Amino acid sequence: MSEKSRGFLRDNALSLTFGAVFLATLVGQALSGVADFNAQQIADGLEPVSLGEYVTSSSFGVDVMENWQSEYLQFFLYIFATVWLVQRGSSESKKPGEEGPESDKEQKVGRHADEDSPAWARIGGWRTAVYGRSLGLLMGALFLLTWAASSIAGWAAYNGDQLGNREDPVSYLGYLGAADFWNRSFQNWQSEMLAVGSMAVFAVYLRQRGSPESKPVGAPHAVTGQTG
Amino acid sequence: MRNVRAVFWLYLVVIIVGIAYAIALGLAGR
Repeated sequence: MSEKSRGFLRDNALSLTFGAVFLATLVGQALSGVADFNAQQIADGLEPVSLGEYVTSSSFGVDVMENWQSEYLQFFLYIFATVWLVQRGSSESKKPGEEGPESDKEQKVGRHADEDSPAWARIGGWRTAVYGRSLGLLMGALFLLTWAASSIAGWAAYNGDQLGNREDPVSYLGYLGAADFWNRSFQNWQSEMLAVGSMAVFAVYLRQRGSPESKPVGAPHAVTGQTG
Repeated sequence: MRNVRAVFWLYLVVIIVGIAYAIALGLAGR
């Protein structure tokens, strides 16, 4: 990269700010989560739990993971869908007619790589094929891992509730077919799909001055794929 | 770019640790 470094904090301001807000909101989830959990415990005639017990419980684990999985699903689908599908006029989209993985020349791979291209973009073969899909593959892998984690923590939390209600625990496979698991999954997926679709189409007609997520304020509505 | 790479790995490690932690809580049946 040719831009000059301006120090660790300014170079990474976006990632570090979101990382810090992530930690603060995770603490907020733990504090409000234990209060909500204890309100239910008391209503059920059970002992309240401490904050430490709550954050080491599968109830907390599944609540965190069910949201993580839907975010990674969203990015995974968006990264792959935008290769093949366009939204005319959107800053989030490629231009109509450019659908598909594009040529090696356009993508600067193999012999079309620049001097400062990543090594795996130049080398060819399976490494270039994998590297050329690495962002989507990582998001897809993180979706599968977080979804699996939400199912495992959800299973334990569900069985905790079952025992509290003097009902039989279910097997892991039984939980994968339970309404609780699918309700948690679908209620997160639906909101992600709506948000992504909204962003793609709202960005056609609306602007945010200075944001790379938006077209330049004066860009015509019909222009696709221009950011500024 | 070295300090950017550190943030890349920090994110990846935090995510993997979070996933492993949630799986461990579930498997422990807590």
